Amino acid sequence: MVQPDHTHAPRPVPSPYTGRQEIDLDQVREMLSHFTYSDHEEAQELILSALQEINEHFGWVSHEAAEIVADHLGTSATRVFAILTFYADFRTTPRGHHHMLLCHGMSCYVMGSSKLVQKVRDEYGIGDGDTTPDGQLSVQVANFCLGVCDRSPVVKLDDEYYGHVNADDLTDLVNRAIEGREAMHASEVNHG
Amino acid sequence: MVSVKPSAHLTRLNSKDDYIAFREHAHRKWDALWNGDATLVSVGVGSSSIAKGALEVLEQAHQVAGDAIVREVSGNGAFWMEPWIEIKRPGVDPVVYGPLTVDDVAGVIAGTRDDLAVGVRGENPVGDIRPLTEIDFFKHQVPLLTRNAGVIEPDSIEDAIARGAYDGYFKVLFEISQEQAIAEVTTANVRGRGGGGFPAGIKWESGRKARNNPKFIVCNSHEGEPNVYKDRHLHECDPHRILEGIMIACIACGAERGYNYIGGEYPLGIRRFRKAVANAERLGLIGKNVLGTGKNVAIRVRTGGGAYVCGEASALMYSIMGVRGQPRTKPPRSVEEGLWKRPTVANNTETLANMPDIIVRGGEWYASLGTENSKGTKLMTMQGPSKLSGVVEVEMGVTMRHLLNDIYGGMREGYTFKGIQTGGASAGPITEDAFDLAIDFDSLGPLNGMLGSGGWVLFDEDVCAVDMARYLTAFSRYESCSKCVPCRLGNPALVEILDRIRFGRGSLEDLALIRRTSSHIIELSLCGLGQVAPVPLVAFLDTYEEEFRQHIVDGVCKCGVCPISAPSRETMLEEVAAD
Repeated sequence: MVQPDHTHAPRPVPSPYTGRQEIDLDQVREMLSHFTYSDHEEAQELILSALQEINEHFGWVSHEAAEIVADHLGTSATRVFAILTFYADFRTTPRGHHHMLLCHGMSCYVMGSSKLVQKVRDEYGIGDGDTTPDGQLSVQVANFCLGVCDRSPVVKLDDEYYGHVNADDLTDLVNRAIEGREAMHASEVNHG
Repeated sequence: MVSVKPSAHLTRLNSKDDYIAFREHAHRKWDALWNGDATLVSVGVGSSSIAKGALEVLEQAHQVAGDAIVREVSGNGAFWMEPWIEIKRPGVDPVVYGPLTVDDVAGVIAGTRDDLAVGVRGENPVGDIRPLTEIDFFKHQVPLLTRNAGVIEPDSIEDAIARGAYDGYFKVLFEISQEQAIAEVTTANVRGRGGGGFPAGIKWESGRKARNNPKFIVCNSHEGEPNVYKDRHLHECDPHRILEGIMIACIACGAERGYNYIGGEYPLGIRRFRKAVANAERLGLIGKNVLGTGKNVAIRVRTGGGAYVCGEASALMYSIMGVRGQPRTKPPRSVEEGLWKRPTVANNTETLANMPDIIVRGGEWYASLGTENSKGTKLMTMQGPSKLSGVVEVEMGVTMRHLLNDIYGGMREGYTFKGIQTGGASAGPITEDAFDLAIDFDSLGPLNGMLGSGGWVLFDEDVCAVDMARYLTAFSRYESCSKCVPCRLGNPALVEILDRIRFGRGSLEDLALIRRTSSHIIELSLCGLGQVAPVPLVAFLDTYEEEFRQHIVDGVCKCGVCPISAPSRETMLEEVAAD
């Protein structure tokens, strides 16, 4: 993997990566307190939404968080885990510092996203759902459509979209992200 | 739950007269806005334009607008002009500018950047700027469902009401009976927009007749296909239309609760829909004793978690009920035993979005649009190397030649046409032979194609047919819910065979093996996903058999995509030596 180049200054200090994005369980309880229901049926309908909110906020859902969801909505942890492992949007392991959504919808496929998937595999040794060993990058290969098809192939890295990305741009983007967001904003390479 | 709050100034309406007064107020407000002395700056914000910086443009517009009123409207489907701003100056029609960057905003608002103008949204030219409807992309469209796109602020229920929203709901509440409402839908002969094409009137009638209470309505807004975003667009530009469709269905079928099951892929659409629900609840259009009629209508929004199979009705209902979305055997059909074992009528978003117009303008009017067997309009998207891209709404019966060449501007330069994949991952490609066929629900069937949800994917000569067939089969493999054996094991087997061919180890017998395995999956699978999973592959094999044979017999992938075409170690060494 390409080592980040430390000559860029000033550079925001990334929080030390502990290999595990801790999920603040009190915060989970606070989030769940907004999920109120009038009967058992409605409680069950809320399981997916509750998990989605946690997944969205923390980037993943831990065992402990899943158990709290199960408790709050009156169901079993097994049931909650069955859902977590079925639906593609959920992660049961933490995301990397930087999270990449690599659109592999049909439009992006036609415009060459397979090369990007391959590039991520070659360069970082990770595939869909994986995180690099140093925890810097995680990737999700989107099996749906990001809906920015006029810029295919499209990549969403953290909160920014990039269009017409080719394999070389991709590593460039990731390296810039790892070096610090400031550098990336300044250059606007291929800003989708 | 991320709660979306209703607009604070709205108050509950308790009767028919209250609503009529409110509607008049909304109309007056709208007219005052557009005929007043203020300049209106509308920024098109949708998920596609946000990706191109529309939020920054909106922010900048707020900064530099001065006295002008800044509005956040939705995208209008024309991806190629995003991000855009529409400026309405007093006395003239609004002018649309785009694509622009943050730096252009001040100039556009000040009126010094007419070079960025795309056209006038209206009939009268402004200076040298011509109407948008003279541009090919817009000229051939028939905007019914999307007529509010880029016009109303999706978060404002008053804007929507001023443009005719909830008139159909009002009609089914006060003016016509359940039977009459369903009769209009039956006359309209509106067919399911999700791909199946089942007549909605028949579904509603059996929903109304079901005796088990309570009953539910489910709006299927789950777009798991890797090439479709029309429902997302509809949610972002006019959530009220979808909501009204669900509410009309609730009244017509006698259901007390409607669900909208939305795929998790489009947070903006979900937020705007929730806002529409919150506002309608605040006004008393949803809730107990709606407008004093004694009728109860409840709406719940549920979101999916990214499983394609949840587009299948029974899987979708399981997903709402908080379990894995795995389809079940039928009968009983969901209209007899669906959500929570209650009678449930499930319709696609686009189908329900048609209902307000059908109720207001009548089934006869609707049936006058489109072809003999497929009525109305259809939202369509074109992806791949076409010149323009985006969502369009056209009348049923449009030809592919017209759609591709006139509306989407043909192929981009440097690309040679090879085919168009139809029906997402559920049908096959069409070639130029099918270009003059009037497209409707049935016409593409004999050619292995399918209208489906209206997503067309253009692909060029650089795309290898074998590799693309593998991509589509791999999609079905990934999305299989693993409940039944033919789909769970059959799809991986097909991918394996295709990989063999791609790596240059295939034999001609593999082609027969593909057909045999495919027919097993098609005949034996439990649900619609499995029953169509190998269809794209078989269709690719029919259409591009020559290319499959080239891979096997000659060991060549002429597009240079498959691993078979990677240079061997020997040739690479030779090349190095030659340098």
